[in-house]
Amino acid sequence: MSPGLQLIDLRRRFGDVVALDGVSLDADEGSMVGFVGPNGAGKTTAMRIALGVLEADGGEVRWQGRVVDETARRRFGYIPEERGLYPKMRVLEQLVYLARLHGVSRAAAQSRAQEILETLGVASRSKDRVESLSLGNQQRVQLAAALVHEPDVLVLDEPFSGLDPVGTDVLIEVLDHERRARGVPIVFSSHQLELVERVCDRVAMIVDGRIVTEGAIDELRESRARRLVRVEVEGAPADWFGSIPGVRLEGEVPGGLILELGNGTDDQRVLDLARSIGEVRHFSVVRPTLAELFREVVSS
Amino acid sequence: MSGEPAATDRGMWRVVAARDFSVRLRDKGFVISTMITLTVLSVFILLRAYTGGPDLFELGYVGDRSVADRVAALADRAGVEVSVVGFDDAREADAALRDGRVDAAVEGDIDDVREGTATLRVLRGPPDLLDQLVQGAAIGLRIDAALSDAGVSDGTVQELKDQHPIDVSPILAPDPDRDSKAAVAFVAVLLLYGQLFGYGIWVATGVIEEKSSRVVEVLLSAIRARQLMAGKIAGIGVLGILQLIFIAGFAIALASVTGAIDLPANSLSAAALTIGWFVLGFAFYAAMFAVAGALVSRMEELQNAIVPINLLVFASFLISIGALQDPDSTIARVASLLPISSALAMPVRMVLGSATPWEIVASLAIVIGSTALLIPLAGRVYAGAVLRTGAKVRLRDAWRAAA
Repeated sequence: MSPGLQLIDLRRRFGDVVALDGVSLDADEGSMVGFVGPNGAGKTTAMRIALGVLEADGGEVRWQGRVVDETARRRFGYIPEERGLYPKMRVLEQLVYLARLHGVSRAAAQSRAQEILETLGVASRSKDRVESLSLGNQQRVQLAAALVHEPDVLVLDEPFSGLDPVGTDVLIEVLDHERRARGVPIVFSSHQLELVERVCDRVAMIVDGRIVTEGAIDELRESRARRLVRVEVEGAPADWFGSIPGVRLEGEVPGGLILELGNGTDDQRVLDLARSIGEVRHFSVVRPTLAELFREVVSS
Repeated sequence: MSGEPAATDRGMWRVVAARDFSVRLRDKGFVISTMITLTVLSVFILLRAYTGGPDLFELGYVGDRSVADRVAALADRAGVEVSVVGFDDAREADAALRDGRVDAAVEGDIDDVREGTATLRVLRGPPDLLDQLVQGAAIGLRIDAALSDAGVSDGTVQELKDQHPIDVSPILAPDPDRDSKAAVAFVAVLLLYGQLFGYGIWVATGVIEEKSSRVVEVLLSAIRARQLMAGKIAGIGVLGILQLIFIAGFAIALASVTGAIDLPANSLSAAALTIGWFVLGFAFYAAMFAVAGALVSRMEELQNAIVPINLLVFASFLISIGALQDPDSTIARVASLLPISSALAMPVRMVLGSATPWEIVASLAIVIGSTALLIPLAGRVYAGAVLRTGAKVRLRDAWRAAA
């Protein structure tokens, strides 16, 4: 895959506060990258720098291997954390204007705006002022504003916040289409980790202005997982596992137990013991969810 | 990839300008302000048309008109027009006084004047100037009588009266249009003040509108802050120019129809001056207003933020009004050179013909030069402040943020 959007060693201070301390992030063409981290970790600052809304003190932003200039940046699409549109401007007129600011010709802007409003199901409101729309519809128009110029790159700050489940599905569908049909790399930040887990290929976790974990979600789960197994054994005493060193009870689940295995403890040995004691109904390796990984990283 | 031909980076301000222009054009405030300006201007022009002009008196007489004619002749030499109206008796004259048809009425002939038995009938009191003219004519009549009583021949008396013993020698070329030029200059400075201030405020509120609705971050992801500021100033400025052209056209048309100001060519050139100075002054002021708007986040805070600019514009306005009376005063000269006030003070001095060519050149150079310096500075502060919401941003912080 060719290099898509790359943030390389971004640094930024606000007075004495270090907001970004060398943040690097890759989003290959056609990939969907989740950007997660606690509030105030630097997600919004990094995204603003990617869009050129904010200047970095150091580091650079590249697109297809080249440092982005204004022309390249105009082909980016953005939803800022603080949503904003002209409240008194009509929906269609506003989208046409924003497309024009991104360098799209008047005629193309008109047809693109109409098209995107139809895709997002708000075409019937195109003549209404933005302020008269429901919050959900305003969100859709905000998304339309990010997509109206057919951007090469999408950077979305909390695009799912405030959306109901249907709105969430629509957004996922639209983003999926953008990356599959046009190879658009998408970076979005979110606190909804189940959702990130569901739709992203990769995730970058930022804490205190530093990327602490980055990679494919599956790999992260493998590498960072504490080794947990879920065992359901019939006819065994409560502490049947106690004879194997390095095994500790993590918790109980209906009909069984979650055991944490220390380094060097063979899970097959645990299975053998279980079978020798009773009838094993269930034995599986438990992978941590992204949310669990997140808590682990943040608390450490 | 859409394959759209991207407009050049530099041209983006035009897209911004087009939006600001059309949004403001459709704004109710624009329509209302245009109506108010036209109304104020119409009142001024109509007042001048029907009350101003050279002094004009109606002088009545009862019976013999010779005294009234002497007054009219004397008035004519003084450049005052007195028309004479005859009445059959005092009651008729009094009725005319009550109706305001005449300002005063003379009762008595030349002999009555000589003997001191003539009267000037008035409603409550005569207009000062008319009183002086009537008394002057009467004094002349009595001197005539005294001279002929002393045996001076009628020819000599006539000769003495026609003399013009003291020559008038003006040190500056007399300007018969001084009065209408002052009126034109007054209108020009009034329009410039309203226009510079009103459109400056629009720039500031436009900036705040984008800041408070937070659309500015979406805009800045597409274009740079400087282009946004330039586009806003240009769009609103062009609207201001077109409105001025419209208003000036209306004013000149109304003034020529009503004859309020004898329109020498200088009305047209004054209109051109006004528009030219609006462009120069607006570029300077609008950059300051844009910064003021960028420093605050809400409309309510704007009033405080623009207090210094308000004071500067208002002080310049007062000085320029003063310059209508005395365009050569030191303060008017200085004000017509400073970039803060020259857009208001210089047009006044130019219309009145008091500005020397080098002063005009210097004033233009200073205002253009300082605007060229101010705009990049303002652009930097604007870029540093426009994304920061919440508390009012300090100038120094905004300057540093954009480093």
